[in-house]
Amino acid sequence: MSESRRRVNRELQADVGDQQNGMAGRSRVERGPEMAEDDDAGAGPSGVREDEDDNPSHRREIRSKYRDLINSVQQNREDMLNPANSKLTDVLEEANKLFVDVSQAREAVLDSQLLVLATDLGKEKANQLQAEGSLFDPAAYAEHLLSFMGFNRLEDEDDNDEELTGFLPSDSWQRLAKRASGCFRTAPSFHYMLGSFLSEPPQPKQRVERQRKAPSNEANRIMPLQLKKMEESHQEATEKEVERILGYLQGYFEKDPTLPISYYEFVIDATSFSRTVENIFHTSFLIRDGLARIYLNEEKIPCIAPVDGEGDAAMSASRQQCVISISPKSWREIIDAFQITGALIPAQNVLQQETQMEETRLLLSKDV
Amino acid sequence: MSQRRKVAASQGKRAALENDGGEDVSFTQPTSSQLQRARDNFTSVQVDHKAAEVVQFILIKDQKKIPIRRTDIAKHIVKEYRAVYQDIMVRVGLIFERVFGMELVEIDTKSHTYILINKLEPTTEEPLSLNPKIGLLFVVLSVIFMKGGVIKEAVLKNTLKKLRVDFEERHDEFGDVKKLITEEFLRQKYLEYTRVPHTDPPEFEFRWGIRAEKEVSKLKIIELVGQLHNQDPQIWTQQYREATSQSSQSSQRS
Repeated sequence: MSESRRRVNRELQADVGDQQNGMAGRSRVERGPEMAEDDDAGAGPSGVREDEDDNPSHRREIRSKYRDLINSVQQNREDMLNPANSKLTDVLEEANKLFVDVSQAREAVLDSQLLVLATDLGKEKANQLQAEGSLFDPAAYAEHLLSFMGFNRLEDEDDNDEELTGFLPSDSWQRLAKRASGCFRTAPSFHYMLGSFLSEPPQPKQRVERQRKAPSNEANRIMPLQLKKMEESHQEATEKEVERILGYLQGYFEKDPTLPISYYEFVIDATSFSRTVENIFHTSFLIRDGLARIYLNEEKIPCIAPVDGEGDAAMSASRQQCVISISPKSWREIIDAFQITGALIPAQNVLQQETQMEETRLLLSKDV
Repeated sequence: MSQRRKVAASQGKRAALENDGGEDVSFTQPTSSQLQRARDNFTSVQVDHKAAEVVQFILIKDQKKIPIRRTDIAKHIVKEYRAVYQDIMVRVGLIFERVFGMELVEIDTKSHTYILINKLEPTTEEPLSLNPKIGLLFVVLSVIFMKGGVIKEAVLKNTLKKLRVDFEERHDEFGDVKKLITEEFLRQKYLEYTRVPHTDPPEFEFRWGIRAEKEVSKLKIIELVGQLHNQDPQIWTQQYREATSQSSQSSQRS
């Protein structure tokens, strides 16, 4: 076979050399139709077979046969690797036979492609030979592993084990891990024994996403100035109030989700100005925490509605702030304008109210 | 005390001279005179302090078992002490060895990545934190080892399928098995996943990764496999020979 290859090499060089004299190049090829049957392509009747070489359909045929061979090698890879058969050798012999007719570069390229594939397979087969000697069968290993892990077979199982029946108990992998951990010299993972916590307040940037956290943890700039002092002194009471108000708001909304609640109607207490101010203060917490939102309805009157928490990210992106101030005079004006008679947020504790009233008045007077 | 410092210093200097520069642009090794000047700038206490910081950094970074890069250590901790990096790392290695019983191993001398391994022999008690992934990893590694060091992806898939672990489906305990094996174990350097040339559609094969080479005892694996088969591991002569040679190598080293 090597001789014919040398011939093809020479011919290839000749082709490259003189493109014009096609005939002259090919005249060096010695070929005969009888040689197709012979395995040994060394000696044979010489003769110029120019018709054969120029025949494009013949060449196409050769190429298609090569491609078939290549395909069959690729598709039946596993088959070829099986040491029990000699399919690979058969393919090589086929290739040999085909190669006899090859005279052009195109077919030679296909032939070399096929050879590369075949040699790869050959190498793998050889590797397999080495491994065979050690008698390790992964399938049997899997069976042993299953029995170690406590695999339960179902009662009415056939002999055929192709379908995966039975089940593994839930701790089976843990059991195996426990046994196998002795093989590993992994450095143990490092964790603080008592857990860890953030000791510093988070930066302003992160605050936008973390609105859900308790208000006490954050040093916040969004909150109106007056509230800071209140927070420090009566934190618990404030939070309770805020939650109470949230409860009322959600309650009203549950009763009739379509009816919007006017903000002023909600916060104003017709009987007490100080109560009103407290309500405004507490609802501002709700707004800041994203639990409620204020919007202007069609008549440009502010309304308040609870938020169910999903629009948190979207809302925090479009936060706006405003400062609401109210004086006893405007309080009375609003009561007249909206015809508010009672209080949507009922008063709770008179004593608490009075102390908070004092402080609120102090702070408000400072700001005004 | 000062003697130890001097010895460490001279070792560090030797190491600095041996290292060839031009690895990362941000980390050229200083010359010995620069090193001496740098050493004079920082007191030993400061360098010790930095070494302690590096130890903490490595301990936390090692939680995920992904190799730690020298550039990360330099950028976050060492910073201005870069000139005495070698000194710091020498002390860090000592701390790990003497305080924690662990070894800081440089697994890639080109890109300078480190892993932590346990120098102590595993005890017979129950391990503290048990991750079932270890079980899966054990199966994969043992199959690869017993089959001579390389297996095709198809072989692994078939074996795992028998254990009710399917690449395509979601497993109750492991989740996305394919991702776990081909990505997580790969990134942790327990496995290597290479492409077989000239195959179409592309096929892949598995080998032991470098972390596995350092952390896993082949002898223990083959003993466990023998126990599972109820057979003497010596019947697998080739693998047994390889396992014993690995353990004798490591005992020579330590």
